[in-house]
Amino acid sequence: MKGYLGIDVGSVSTNLVFLDEGGTVREALYLRTNGRPIATVQQGLSEMSGCLPARTVIRGVGTTGSGRHLAGVITGADVIKNEITTHAVASSTLVPGVRTVLEIGGQDSKIILLREGMVADFAMNTVCAAGTGSFLDQQAARLTIPIDSFGELALQSTLPVRIAGRCAVFAESDMIHKQQMGYNLADILAGLCEALVRNYLNNLAKGKEILPPVVFQGGVAANSGMKKAFEKELGFEVIVPPHYNVMGAVGAGLLAREKMSGSMPTGFKGFRVAGTEFKAGGFECDGCSNLCEVVEIYEESDVIARWGDRCGRWSGSLTREEKIS
Amino acid sequence: MTIKIGIPRALLFYQYFPMWKTFFEKLGLQVVVSGHTTKGILEKGARLCVDEACLPVKVAFGHVAELKEADSIFLPRLVSVSPGEYICPKFLGFPDMVKQCAQDLPPLIMTNFNQYRREGDLYAAFSETGRVLGSNPAKVYFAYREALRAHKRHTSLLQRGYMPEDAVKLAGEPPEKGSLEQEDVRSRPVVAVIGHPYNIYDGFISMNLIKRLEKAGFRVVTQDHLSEETLRHHAGRLPKKLFWTLGRNMTGGALHYLSDPGIKGLVHVASFACGPDSMTGELIERFVRRMGGKPFLNLTLDEHTGEAGVVTRLEAFTDMINLRLASGS
Repeated sequence: MKGYLGIDVGSVSTNLVFLDEGGTVREALYLRTNGRPIATVQQGLSEMSGCLPARTVIRGVGTTGSGRHLAGVITGADVIKNEITTHAVASSTLVPGVRTVLEIGGQDSKIILLREGMVADFAMNTVCAAGTGSFLDQQAARLTIPIDSFGELALQSTLPVRIAGRCAVFAESDMIHKQQMGYNLADILAGLCEALVRNYLNNLAKGKEILPPVVFQGGVAANSGMKKAFEKELGFEVIVPPHYNVMGAVGAGLLAREKMSGSMPTGFKGFRVAGTEFKAGGFECDGCSNLCEVVEIYEESDVIARWGDRCGRWSGSLTREEKIS
Repeated sequence: MTIKIGIPRALLFYQYFPMWKTFFEKLGLQVVVSGHTTKGILEKGARLCVDEACLPVKVAFGHVAELKEADSIFLPRLVSVSPGEYICPKFLGFPDMVKQCAQDLPPLIMTNFNQYRREGDLYAAFSETGRVLGSNPAKVYFAYREALRAHKRHTSLLQRGYMPEDAVKLAGEPPEKGSLEQEDVRSRPVVAVIGHPYNIYDGFISMNLIKRLEKAGFRVVTQDHLSEETLRHHAGRLPKKLFWTLGRNMTGGALHYLSDPGIKGLVHVASFACGPDSMTGELIERFVRRMGGKPFLNLTLDEHTGEAGVVTRLEAFTDMINLRLASGS
């Protein structure tokens, strides 16, 4: 079999997909990044190679997510793309005709508006992570509810309570307040979902024209309570597509497929990199008062990439420029 | 030994530096400028400055502190640079803030620049500066005329499409020598960047926004490349007069570029904690939507902004433009 790999290294999860030559998702992996992106990518690669038949040929690799450059140099990616573009590509391929993409991931949330298959506008949350997956994760942990059953519980609510969703810190104290007043858990969870949706629509989607079909993707789309809250607020159906939690990786794979469809050889280093030793080192450059913290990525004893400098003194010295752009 | 006048590379430097430089040089003084913004300059500035100020003011403090070696630092109290309009109140208070917060500085030249009533009141400001320096009034008048000429030339280079610092470099040469005259630069798709000059031209504050766009294959224009008449005409389309000069320029520039089919996208750069920016940003965004939705990106910057966030948004923005160009719409 021949195909393409898509890798999305996010703050919370690292996802890998394998697409066949027709662009269909054959294998998908969803792993927790656990703060160790390099090790997680390696683990993902070794798991992926176990899932694929022997003698599978990888014709191209695409990486995305906040760790895209890191994953890119480790695997030898052919395409390194930002997560907004990859999410848009994936949803417009899997849900033809989609006009709005709501994406909520671990640390960020996005809204992408597509018109006639093209990105027309987008927004991404700024420094504040209120209303993202991490916050839901944290609240689920506080209430000792497995995150997988969060949505189900929220759906049992008959009367969601009103919770302030503007800020994660305030939302938490509001939730505790409601819980101490004796509201039942399902109503509090459903209220939290509604608060997050309100926050999302008022901040990120402020002034944006949300037209159906609307696709809801990212890790948080697993939460059926969130889907219901979106539908209640928007007044129409929200589609959670197949592979909703690995859409970034699907998009990266699709872009790799598009770029490598000719006879270009891939830069993929092979599944062997799962066993190679990668290390990150670094130093503070003293070239000027910017004092940039330069990160070096080692493959065994060789430096394969450097970044973190503002002027390009280090990053320009060895990386393959055309890929890190 | 010639007296050294220090000018911080901050705030209205990008618009007025050639004028100020020429004035002092014609009086026989030497002009020194602080270097490009670095993390060190920002940190120094943030330490000296009051906490509530916006990022560019903090950066400006850092630049002033870089000029300790100068004999005097030129910190004009900029009240108004255009009749009937004001400059941000922080500019008006800047020299006094510096005086209060920073010690061990050389003497400050804090002349008032106030053209609120008349354009011609500019001479009063220069003549006052000359008096402070103890220069001969006739010489001051001559230097002032030369300064105006330098400013006019700077403005015309900007209107030709040069970025302020390139225009400063080109000051002594014929404009045909500039990099913009090459065919391949002229034929690139054009993106407009709208923002306060001290944000968009400062590579540190803007995280090299303009360079990044150029590297991605675009030519960048800003509101400063348009003539005063164009800016006024388009700002005049608003139901009410904007009385901040910079906000008026930005809005006028954005409206002009939005109606220009040659412009493929628009970036608005705002400083976090800037009141006028939050308003112009919102105004511009509404006009973008009303006028057919060109690709638009609103970037808000502060000292905590990570480069990764800016890069991701910028890449998505350029992808959006490129896909549209490829599809021919």
